[in-house]
Amino acid sequence: MLQLEAVEVCYGSFKALKGVSMQVGAGELVVLLGANGAGKTTLFNTISGLLKPTAGRVTLEGQRIDGLKPSRLVGAGVVQCAEGRKLFPQMSVQENLSLGAYLHRRDREGNRRNLREVYALFPILEQKKDEPAGSLSGGQQQMVAIGRALMSRPRLLMLDEPSLGLAPLVVNQMFEVITRINRSGTSVLLAEQNAFAALKIAHRAYVIEGGSLVMEGDQQAMLGNEAVRKAYIGA
Amino acid sequence: MNLLFQQVLNGLTLGSIYGLVALGLTLVYGILHIPNFAHGALYMVGAFASYFFMTDLGLHYWIAMLLSGGVVAVLAMLCERLVFHPLRNAPPIHDKIAAIGILLFLEAVVQMFWGSDFRRMASPFGGILRFDGLIIPEQRLLIIVGAFTLMLALHLFLRKTMLGSTIIAMAQSREGAFLVGIDANRVAMLTFAISGMLAAFAATLYAPINLVYPAMGHLVIMKAFVIIVLGGMGSIPGAIVGAMILGFAESFGGFYLSSDYKDIIAFSLLVVILSFRPTGLFAKGAH
Repeated sequence: MLQLEAVEVCYGSFKALKGVSMQVGAGELVVLLGANGAGKTTLFNTISGLLKPTAGRVTLEGQRIDGLKPSRLVGAGVVQCAEGRKLFPQMSVQENLSLGAYLHRRDREGNRRNLREVYALFPILEQKKDEPAGSLSGGQQQMVAIGRALMSRPRLLMLDEPSLGLAPLVVNQMFEVITRINRSGTSVLLAEQNAFAALKIAHRAYVIEGGSLVMEGDQQAMLGNEAVRKAYIGA
Repeated sequence: MNLLFQQVLNGLTLGSIYGLVALGLTLVYGILHIPNFAHGALYMVGAFASYFFMTDLGLHYWIAMLLSGGVVAVLAMLCERLVFHPLRNAPPIHDKIAAIGILLFLEAVVQMFWGSDFRRMASPFGGILRFDGLIIPEQRLLIIVGAFTLMLALHLFLRKTMLGSTIIAMAQSREGAFLVGIDANRVAMLTFAISGMLAAFAATLYAPINLVYPAMGHLVIMKAFVIIVLGGMGSIPGAIVGAMILGFAESFGGFYLSSDYKDIIAFSLLVVILSFRPTGLFAKGAH
């Protein structure tokens, strides 16, 4: 579904991505492992059009998408739930979710249905729908961010560190929800430092280090790999 | 009693005009972080456009105001497209220089066609209403009612429509807005258009009790900057409250001290308020 071929991205003279090639198949849940500064967020921002690759190509179902504007990409179904959530802090939870459906604003019936689904996924958000998103706890804000991304009707959902700063119990719930989203047919690309939990729900995984992919494999291979265990699981 | 009432009326009138101008300035600042020095020139062009439609084409005041709003909205969008958009990745000082460039350019163009004379713009609302000894010039009443209607309309547009909420979304989180697929260019043009339209309406409302001349925007834009600094850069309620504070301070200060000091009051107020609240009355982003 999504394919990257030898993608390079530079910040000035610093090369943040050095020829990254990867793919995410339809319906797959793929995990991207890597330490801070390895290039996960750069890779995500490149796929969602916030950064332009200096070399290489990104294709979605065979169509070239690198260089397209972010708004076009959201329209094509490539939706990112960014690190740090990037909510609209003074708007209510419901306003945040409604803006997720900005590109589908004419389909009011469909949006109402999606909103019900998001509330079914995160019942706490329905109780807090009129509160400003900025006043919620970290876990709840993450739910709003994922809910808002779902309102954009993603075909490929990219989640950048959704477990960052959340209590362990909430992290488990978060991964459960991600599994459910994936099972309903949405391809998921998940960047995580919480490698063990992420690998448990993944089909496949890539490891990124210093702007290059250094390893890839399916769930079993990665969980069994000595280097991955040492570096990211700590066992 | 009557004198006090007149000062309240003057304060409201000034505050209304300042408010409309400051709202446009704060909207643009909130979205694009451009201090648009050219905003005063847009205000001035708005007055001349209405003047032209009324005196040269003989159109009615209301129609002239609407057309002028449209003309200045287009002009503001052109400024965004042709000047500010190409500078979006340049250092911030370039925006400021460019804004001053637009200001000088527009003033020169207006001067070329109309000269630098002071002109009087007639209004069909030249009458005076009397209630129980209170005197209310119609045009002042029109300014106050008109400004509050426009502010309410702006509020409803920003809060209740999807298009309007894209402006607020962009102001609160630029990246968040990109993530949901909001097109930054469209929001920028929309913001400039609204800002220009408000400036043109304000100028057309105020011109009949003032004069129309190429430098008429100077003091207004300086005060609008004072207001948005007072109210908190980018804050919408801050712009309205700041405008009213300034309007009343000028009207009462001008009356009880001396009208010669009217314009100094604005800047003294800025110094005093910023000494106590350096971030302005309303923190940025509070809508």
